[in-house]
Amino acid sequence: MTISPPTESIPVDRARDTSSRASRWLVVLRTPTGLTAGILLFGLLVLSVAAPALWTDQANQVNTDAILQPPSDGHLVGTDNLGRDLFFRVLVATGLSVQLALLATAVAVVAGLILGAAPFLVGPRFGRVLTSAVNIGIAFPGLLLALFFAVIFGIGATGAVLAIGAAGAPAFARLILTLVAGVTERDYVSAARIAGVGRVRILIRHILPNIGEPLVVNATIGAGGALLGFASLSFLGLGVQSPDYDWGQLLGTGLNSIYTNPAAAIAPGVAVIIAGLAFNMFGESIAMGIGAPTIGTAGRRLLARGRVRPETAAPVDQGRIDAVLEVVDLSVTFPGPRGAIQPVRNVSLSIGRAESVGVVGESGSGKSLTALAIARLIEEPGQVDATRLRFQGTDLLSGTETEHRQLLGTSLAVVFQDPMTSFNPTLRMGRQLAEVAEQHQRMSRSQALARAIDRLRAVRIPEPERRAKQYPHEFSGGMRQRAMIGLGLMGSPSLIVADEPTTALDPTVQQQVLELLAEIRRVDEVAILLISHDVSVVSQLCDRVLVMYAGQIVEDLPVSELARGARHPYTRALIAAVPTMHTDLETPLSTIPGRPVDPSDIPPGCPYAARCPLASELCRTQAPPLETDAAGRRVACWRADEVVVR
Amino acid sequence: MSELRFNDVTVRFGGSRRGLTAVDQVSLTVPDNSIVGLVGESGSGKSTLARAAVRLVPLTGGCIELDGKPVPRRGPESRRVQMIFQDPSSALNPRMTIGESIAEGLPRGTSPAARRAEVARFLELVHLNPARASYSPAQLSGGQRQRVALARVLATRPDVIIADEITSALDVSIQGTVINELKSLQRELGISVLFISHNLPLVRYVTQRMAVMYFGRVVEQGQTADVLADPQHPYTRELLSQVPDSGGNPPHDLPERPVPIPTRSTR
Repeated sequence: MTISPPTESIPVDRARDTSSRASRWLVVLRTPTGLTAGILLFGLLVLSVAAPALWTDQANQVNTDAILQPPSDGHLVGTDNLGRDLFFRVLVATGLSVQLALLATAVAVVAGLILGAAPFLVGPRFGRVLTSAVNIGIAFPGLLLALFFAVIFGIGATGAVLAIGAAGAPAFARLILTLVAGVTERDYVSAARIAGVGRVRILIRHILPNIGEPLVVNATIGAGGALLGFASLSFLGLGVQSPDYDWGQLLGTGLNSIYTNPAAAIAPGVAVIIAGLAFNMFGESIAMGIGAPTIGTAGRRLLARGRVRPETAAPVDQGRIDAVLEVVDLSVTFPGPRGAIQPVRNVSLSIGRAESVGVVGESGSGKSLTALAIARLIEEPGQVDATRLRFQGTDLLSGTETEHRQLLGTSLAVVFQDPMTSFNPTLRMGRQLAEVAEQHQRMSRSQALARAIDRLRAVRIPEPERRAKQYPHEFSGGMRQRAMIGLGLMGSPSLIVADEPTTALDPTVQQQVLELLAEIRRVDEVAILLISHDVSVVSQLCDRVLVMYAGQIVEDLPVSELARGARHPYTRALIAAVPTMHTDLETPLSTIPGRPVDPSDIPPGCPYAARCPLASELCRTQAPPLETDAAGRRVACWRADEVVVR
Repeated sequence: MSELRFNDVTVRFGGSRRGLTAVDQVSLTVPDNSIVGLVGESGSGKSTLARAAVRLVPLTGGCIELDGKPVPRRGPESRRVQMIFQDPSSALNPRMTIGESIAEGLPRGTSPAARRAEVARFLELVHLNPARASYSPAQLSGGQRQRVALARVLATRPDVIIADEITSALDVSIQGTVINELKSLQRELGISVLFISHNLPLVRYVTQRMAVMYFGRVVEQGQTADVLADPQHPYTRELLSQVPDSGGNPPHDLPERPVPIPTRSTR
């Protein structure tokens, strides 16, 4: 029986609107644990108010004829030494037990808030002293602190409330310190500070509202702990004193007659357990509900659907026999709170040997998900559908997961935007690369390490022998990205999927990574699928560009045509929006009005129609098909090639 | 009439022996009614310099002057230099409406009615519908949020705005709206702007003067057109050669790094 420290911290303030926040709380009640805990907690609170009002008389009725009776029909859990009915006493005790636990929690939270927020108000120097004090306080076990304070504050209900509150305060203070520190780093707090807003005001307006959610969760869990703590103190005779009674006190008196009437001790014990569980489970399920993304029920039905769809559409690019990758009608579906969302819709593409294809689009266009789907990296509850998905001639839609992993592990390399999160920070670089070869090529440990060093050299990492012994944090960003490419080259890949590989890098380093990819492609005849929001990056490395909008390919054209020969108005607008070294300084920058389509709300007709200066009635009602012209270029637009007349 | 001047500004983090000099004796002037660009790679100290100007980072040496007088730490005078941040998702308090966020910058003692009118005026100034004052940031796109951040800064009536990579987290399709807004408002209101970016074409488009920072030092500064046409420092030349259509040598003919780039761990 200790007071559980509220240590769970939940990500603060992921920007979400109020409706989704409300639905998140509702989602909590949809999970089995959440629902059970919710009902339990609700019942407990109702009982704590209703029981004292309804049954106080029965509970206090002295009956000297029926002293210390075992359970019977008249007395469900027997009677105490004055013949009072213990069942009713346990029920009525709910009121005081819950009330005192909540009061003690309130004391703990308020004291924690004062201690935790003070360092922000008083500045760093005195703040450090306070923080150390909190850290020392947290080092003592909660119950020990509670006992200590109970002696100081005096025996009785008030003393116990203060004692348990004070004992819980360091844990809450610690939590609040952490949460406050997290919010303080946000730009809006800096902005308010620069705008001359006072510290107290910043605390009230900016910080407290944004730590509220995790605080409520932890207070709920803390209330469970306080309830147990209170029961302990009362049991020891330090808490509630006769004639008042709570569960702990009933437990204490019941224990005296444990051999004659065990139910007298068990009943309040069970009540403590149920109440403690109700608070704890409810807190935990809210924590899970608001920490994790919401999963609606509507999308589940889609998940049940089979992966392979009948091949109805005519396959695109039938002539490419040498294709490394062939994708027809690829879609990615996620369940959402308001039904299934399809961020990638019917994407068809093929990549030939040593070909380099770029995919561009705005954020949310589905370009990264397309890459992940091709690399088979979409995780549940996401669902990938396609009529054809062939890699090096192998059908990835049939066959077992193990076979695919072997093939993809050696022949497909994936490079992500942030190489830091792609490496295990506790393993040496050489080891991490070598692991791949041990796993997929069944090499010995030393062979694999030699290969790793060779690959690091291949991606132009200086002194590869020394570097292989270093940890990821000792590599610079550009070097980590090159090591990531090296990791992909441990096998003999025929395709590298690179998702924004240079976005996190400085321009000069970005150039080196692009050159490296180009060289690997030339020397090893590796095909590249490059995903980027930056048209200029794609045009440096690729032969062909796929332009994506609202989860679909809207244009497929050679890079050489990008600057002047784009046919889709979206492609043209995208190119025009990039300032160059020749942009006219006097005219405003070109922009694309409106905002990208929300994948959960895709309009009928062409998804770009709302932002397109050429849009006609046809565009708004009927989606244009992706048509292939004689030269093999594809475009999905009713008004391709037309020019805006101003 | 407002000129921001950095005089020999030095910012060090950590102790004297194992610490890191993020900004090393930087002198830079943002003249009245102009936009000055500041470029450099990540870790070059440009963001630290920006944060020092708005007192989020204490100076180790030198001083920052506004119109010849040191910028005070508190009081209304300290509000004359304002900053817009890079990340639109963190720029606005998710629990406040955008109207409340903007109103926060208004001078104290503004009446509620005047507040509403001012908020509407500033929203209009950045071309957002004043009816949106009651929206929460989550209901706006990244570009719109950056424009609200701009409106909030303008509400404090600043003389100087520090814009730190304000479009690098935005899609290129909406980058233009924020840049056009900044440029036209600067002209209209006569504010001075320090425009921090790693995007040279953008710096060329936005600024009149520019400075290049490299490992904590300003290695080159001058009229933007001159710096871009005839870069003096090897790092500036390298930066310029990375721009795809700079018209000069294609990237493949690049020599190896012209200068040895020191590592960050110079301890």
